[in-house]
Amino acid sequence: MQPNVPICSLCTEPAVIYQRHEDRHLCGTHFTADVKRRVADIITIQKMIVPHDRVAVALSGGKDSTALLLLLNNLLPQWHDVRLVAITIDEGIGGYREDTIKSAEQVTGRLGIEHHCISFSDLFGDSLDTILQGRETQACSICGILRKKALVVGAGQAGATKLATGHNLDDEAQSVLMNVFRGDLSRLIRNSSIGSSGKFIPRIKPFSLISEKEIALYLMLNDAWCELPECPYTRYALRREVRSMLSGFEYKHPGTMLHLIESKEKIERCGKGSVNLEPLRSCRECGDPCSGDLCQVCLLRQSSGH
Amino acid sequence: MKFILSDKDVRVLEHSPAPVEQILLELGVNPLEVIVSRDGKLISEDTIVEADDEIRAIRIAHGG
Repeated sequence: MQPNVPICSLCTEPAVIYQRHEDRHLCGTHFTADVKRRVADIITIQKMIVPHDRVAVALSGGKDSTALLLLLNNLLPQWHDVRLVAITIDEGIGGYREDTIKSAEQVTGRLGIEHHCISFSDLFGDSLDTILQGRETQACSICGILRKKALVVGAGQAGATKLATGHNLDDEAQSVLMNVFRGDLSRLIRNSSIGSSGKFIPRIKPFSLISEKEIALYLMLNDAWCELPECPYTRYALRREVRSMLSGFEYKHPGTMLHLIESKEKIERCGKGSVNLEPLRSCRECGDPCSGDLCQVCLLRQSSGH
Repeated sequence: MKFILSDKDVRVLEHSPAPVEQILLELGVNPLEVIVSRDGKLISEDTIVEADDEIRAIRIAHGG
């Protein structure tokens, strides 16, 4: 054993992480077990997965969704008659998406999980690169709207009862802050996992209390980490700035991200009944559930003149 | 010590033994945004690294 190596708080192995929220060191084995337990706990407590569910995992092939698929597949024996299916969206982003799709195909092939791939070109008639010409600065908003629709279509085709995404603690805290920055209270307290009344497939986020760093470490410890390119459109994203700022705050003030999530939950509870949320309606054009007259995809089509 | 921040950014540092977290901060890297290995083995950021160590900081943030 090398000197000056912190030791796991639960055994005598060298530590791979210091968990500041728990004030403890963990070795690879205990860290992997800890992540698995915390994910299983949130799934159980929030009843994210129930017997007979068919869970569609939104699998981009990036680190979060890959880790989610691996972990859910690992937890599968704990649930009665639950099946997994992976949905990958090919937005058509040249020089980027090819690598992550290949990665998604490899992981689903290795695990023997059914895999569906839906492309923007098939669904919307054009690749994202084409759709974005001249409005690259809106890339993330436009892509987000279309990708959400594509995932719903894919999950529906696969007969899914739940749609699981790899959003982690960092993503969730960033979203809270971004909605505050935009003054978008209704989006801040909107919850797509509950109250769906059968109008859409409920979304679940089993990683919402696991940090981005923990997910990356989980993959490395399970020999599933691979370096992938970054989406070329992230340079336009507000999220990129928020991510960097929030990460700095989290380092200086541990618990910041968790506090943001807790604040959102408190606002949700306080806002119940007093915030005027639009009731769920059906889009005039396509019939999809939405809060206005037209859904976001049809609004986008209209603004593009399609 | 040899400090690898990426394939294109390899630095040789004259540094007395120190927690890797301190060295990352001196290099302007937020320790929460990287996973660190020493001689190929993952380490926690409060591990003290020494002159003959090879340290690699793997960036974890990817968009999309």
